[in-house]
Amino acid sequence: MQRITSLVDVKSQEFRLNELHNRRLAAELKERQHAVRFNRPERDRERLRRQNKLFVRERVEALLDPETPFLEISTLAANKAYDGEVPSAAQVVGIGIVAGREVIVHADDASVKGGAWYPLSVKKIVRSLDIAIENRLPVVHLCDCGGGFLPLQAEFFADRHHAGRIFHNQTILSKMGVPQVAIVMGHCIAGGAYVPALSEYNIIVQGSGAIFLGGPSVVKAATGQHVSVEELGGADMHTSVSGTADYLANSEMHAIAIARDIVARFNRIEKAPIDRVAPEPPAYPASELYGIIPKDPRAHFEMREIIARLVDGSRFHEYQPRYGRSLVCGFARLHGYQIGVLANNGVLFGDSALKGAHFIQLCDMNRTPLLFLQNITGFMVGRDYEQGGITKNGAKLIMAMSGASVPKFTIVCNHSHGAGAFAMAGRAFDPRFLFTWPQAQISAIGTDQATRVLTDIKAKQLAVDGRHLSEQELEAIRESISEEYKERSSAYYATSEIWDDGILDPADTRNALAMAVSASLNAPIETPRYGVFRM
Amino acid sequence: MRKLPFDTVLIANRGEIAIRIIKTLRELELRSAIVYHDLDAGTPAVSMADVAIPISGRTPVAAYLDTAQIIAAAHEVNAGAIHPGYGFLSENAEFARKVLEAGIVFIGPTPENIELMGDKIRARKFVQRNGFPVARSAIEEDDPATFISRARSIGAPLLVKPSAGGGGKGMRIVRDLDALEHAIVQARSEAQRYFGDARLYVERYVEKPRHIEVQVLGDSFGNVIHLFERECSVQRRFQKVIEEAPSPALSLELREKICETAVNIARSANYRNAGTVEFIFDGSGFYFLEMNTRLQVEHPVTEMITGIDLVAEQVYVTGGHELRLSQSDIVLAGHAIEARVYAEAPARGFAPTTGKVLVLDYPGGPGVRIDSGILQGQQITTAFDSMLAKVIVHSPTRTEAALKAERAMQELVLLGCETNASFLARVLADEQFLSGQVHTGYLDENPHLAAGEFASDLSAFLAAAALLTRPVRDSADAVPELHASLGSWRN
Amino acid sequence: MNHVLELEGVDYQLWLSPCKQGYRLHLGDEVTAPIDFCHQGDGCGILIIAGAREPVRFAIDGDTIHLHIRGRTSVLRYRDPLSALALAQKHAGQLVARAPMPGVVVATSVLPGEVIAAGTALMVVESMKLETVIRSSQNGVVDRVHFKEGESFEQDAVLVTLSAEGH
Repeated sequence: MQRITSLVDVKSQEFRLNELHNRRLAAELKERQHAVRFNRPERDRERLRRQNKLFVRERVEALLDPETPFLEISTLAANKAYDGEVPSAAQVVGIGIVAGREVIVHADDASVKGGAWYPLSVKKIVRSLDIAIENRLPVVHLCDCGGGFLPLQAEFFADRHHAGRIFHNQTILSKMGVPQVAIVMGHCIAGGAYVPALSEYNIIVQGSGAIFLGGPSVVKAATGQHVSVEELGGADMHTSVSGTADYLANSEMHAIAIARDIVARFNRIEKAPIDRVAPEPPAYPASELYGIIPKDPRAHFEMREIIARLVDGSRFHEYQPRYGRSLVCGFARLHGYQIGVLANNGVLFGDSALKGAHFIQLCDMNRTPLLFLQNITGFMVGRDYEQGGITKNGAKLIMAMSGASVPKFTIVCNHSHGAGAFAMAGRAFDPRFLFTWPQAQISAIGTDQATRVLTDIKAKQLAVDGRHLSEQELEAIRESISEEYKERSSAYYATSEIWDDGILDPADTRNALAMAVSASLNAPIETPRYGVFRM
Repeated sequence: MRKLPFDTVLIANRGEIAIRIIKTLRELELRSAIVYHDLDAGTPAVSMADVAIPISGRTPVAAYLDTAQIIAAAHEVNAGAIHPGYGFLSENAEFARKVLEAGIVFIGPTPENIELMGDKIRARKFVQRNGFPVARSAIEEDDPATFISRARSIGAPLLVKPSAGGGGKGMRIVRDLDALEHAIVQARSEAQRYFGDARLYVERYVEKPRHIEVQVLGDSFGNVIHLFERECSVQRRFQKVIEEAPSPALSLELREKICETAVNIARSANYRNAGTVEFIFDGSGFYFLEMNTRLQVEHPVTEMITGIDLVAEQVYVTGGHELRLSQSDIVLAGHAIEARVYAEAPARGFAPTTGKVLVLDYPGGPGVRIDSGILQGQQITTAFDSMLAKVIVHSPTRTEAALKAERAMQELVLLGCETNASFLARVLADEQFLSGQVHTGYLDENPHLAAGEFASDLSAFLAAAALLTRPVRDSADAVPELHASLGSWRN
Repeated sequence: MNHVLELEGVDYQLWLSPCKQGYRLHLGDEVTAPIDFCHQGDGCGILIIAGAREPVRFAIDGDTIHLHIRGRTSVLRYRDPLSALALAQKHAGQLVARAPMPGVVVATSVLPGEVIAAGTALMVVESMKLETVIRSSQNGVVDRVHFKEGESFEQDAVLVTLSAEGH
């Protein structure tokens, strides 16, 4: 495989300005992540200590094998919601190694609102179990949830993908033979009680752990019965009387040791056989990504330079290098795994769509997972293109992408707009994982275009009312529309709403993808099968 | 070979000393018999003896102290002689007398010798009367009512000792006179239990004393010779740890003087057989401490520097022969060091350890002697003394001997029961030891020797243990290669 | 969760991770690599550590590893996390008197059923030529005296069990 020869001048003024800018964005990301992970009011920390509880991050670290990676999912979920008071949506989710096995870790964070589930908490838990189902990953639940946040129940209770989906997903996992272990580290009340109950194995911590459908006060209100927490759903009772819990632990650490021992009993899954060789680091350092991603999001950049800093040895076998050039397609290796890369090098034309559709089928036949690198403003518009069948060619790309059985992974590098964002394995097409870079913009159309359209509409509405706007007034409206639009198409907003699996520092992308590919291979890859391609 | 009035010798002992005695008996073409408690069944001493007779007791130790059973065993196997080894009944005059009354030869001094010299109080009075130097003391039985006040009047520091004691058992140093009475109560209880004799005496404790002892041999014809001295100053809790011969502390002149004194003490006591006259040496002068009327644990260092088999000499003189050697035949050659391997944990205050000997590999080579009582597979318990083996080396000079001994301690592989071998190696390499400037408080003043910091060895031990522990290695092997290569990466 | 190996009374939290040339030993922030162990027959092997080859004699007895390296013998114990963490709590609640070191019982001072106060002498034991009085750390009723006079015991052996009845 040929090595990509980088044409980037790392000494140029442009490179250094970009680097400064992107390093600042990466630092900001790390700061925000650190804050949501660790900044808690002292009184909440103190309460945990009083209850003999470890902080959720300590629990997760104790659960994981030391010296192994943890790919955290949706760290900044809910960062733009609930006035920023529910960091990480009060959930820690990620893929880690427990007793040598790849597992999903899902942990309630009792330091946030007593571990109450908010609508985005529910969304994050459902997503974590979706990941478990799609990739056949066992789950370890660290349960410490005080129940749903009642004032917002309309946003998390009744719908298809609301709280009930958590339990639905648990039953699906069980049916698939993918085991779950739950540790009851606090009170698991009402719906929360079913997380341990629906897990194959569960452990309850003496003293702090309890499982019941209704707490003592609910029981008193409902039946007049006075009952203690211990009698109602204590560790002793559940492990010796009701059989709801399997193992009694003396302490959280003891419970974690038991959970690790249980996971160590899980059968190792034969991974989907895809081509793999010994890994090799890229020839160009990942840190150079900072100098390549333009400071100005509207500026074009060469995707091959990005690929050169993600893949093994910076080696890239480009497919159809002379045709459909706005979509770069080719084979590469990532930590030794063979992957097929589709990267936007401009707007999608008919030929690039056809090339992409063909390449996807090559990869699917060849059992080669697909990596989509998005920087897409959309499919080309205009009479000539429509006459050339841009829509039906786009449909071919979407059909091929959606129908491919191999695992798909998406990185939103910069722009993600229009139907092009769908065709490049957008969230709706269930790529196994979708990550975003800090400067990315995710919206139906670009900010400038949207601002123009929205300002026009506003002006027209006002004109109907007989109002005529001065240029100054128009500018003010334009400004405010643009601000709000930008905010709601930012990576931070997207990740807050869990439209992705998290924002990545570009330099972390290679490792994150390697873990994602490895995780995806726990599920068998089905034989290629497609719908009807409009010819 | 000279004729002896017996052809079978019963060994009333166990462990390494029993084996040591069997080896000489074989050389003398005598049959060896041994008594053993059930706990010792299967130990090498029992399997090496030509015949072994089980004995029992309320405790394992009690079995080896049971005169009646031992004499009955001797009769059973037609043993004409009994060798008591050291410890147990070796210095029990009553036992020696009963053995003789049973028509059996006692390979040791006469009961009268034991009565006189084995009793510390009687011995020191006798020695003092004969004009030899002794330390200031208060003896309880002189006047029990005034014992404590007499002891106080000597002034601190004091050493409280059982009259019938030996081997450091029941001894206590008193630096604050207020603690004297308490120390006496405790020492008395231990004295009663170990020696069946609660009498005590108190003597002035010499700070930084050196323990130097002279090996003597006497026969029934009034001949007494010495085999030079041994230095046993490296002690912990009055327990000897490293012994050597000759003493690095003595000038030629002092050596001659101390050996002469020992011979004279033994001669004036009409001493027969092997014995040891112990002295305290304060750097310039020495005074009589006690006499041990038996073969000592550390006798091999004397054997190494003189080339004489002390057990053989014991057998001959008790067999009625005149000493084969005269003083001028005894020549001191080179330097010998003995290191005692104990089942104990120096870092935990020398607490005794137990376990099964899983691997046992002794050092060897020229000038290295091992007196061992254990075998691979043997269970080490606390029922008996915790000494497992002695490693004795012989070299032309003290420096070479210390180096050889250190190397031997490093080469000694005894796994399964913690021992003091590494500690011994550290002592043998310690500058103060190498300079010869040791005294009985040397180990207490240098606790770092017992602590044994790991420093650079720590990671080697942890690495080896980690690699050899299945759960540790398994959890490393279980991690997929990709994840292992990413280490503790976090996004 | 790290593994724990105990050496001379100190617990070392450590982890082994694989690397190209063998393994890495992680001890706190300290990493020793590469390390490996080649077996050479019964109880013998070569430890490869930081480029050096160290001959090792070893014996494994349950969770106890006896090692002889660089002329030095040591005993290490693997602390199984399940039992160590399970015990950690149990001991706190149980009323037992344990042996501070191996030894022999000289005399027992209490009988089952006897009501005792904290500080009561339970037993006199002998170890290292010294007598030690084992005392009760709390009030209670003697449940069981586990050793008779003259019997020997190991370190940490339960000598006397108490129950809290009547208190």
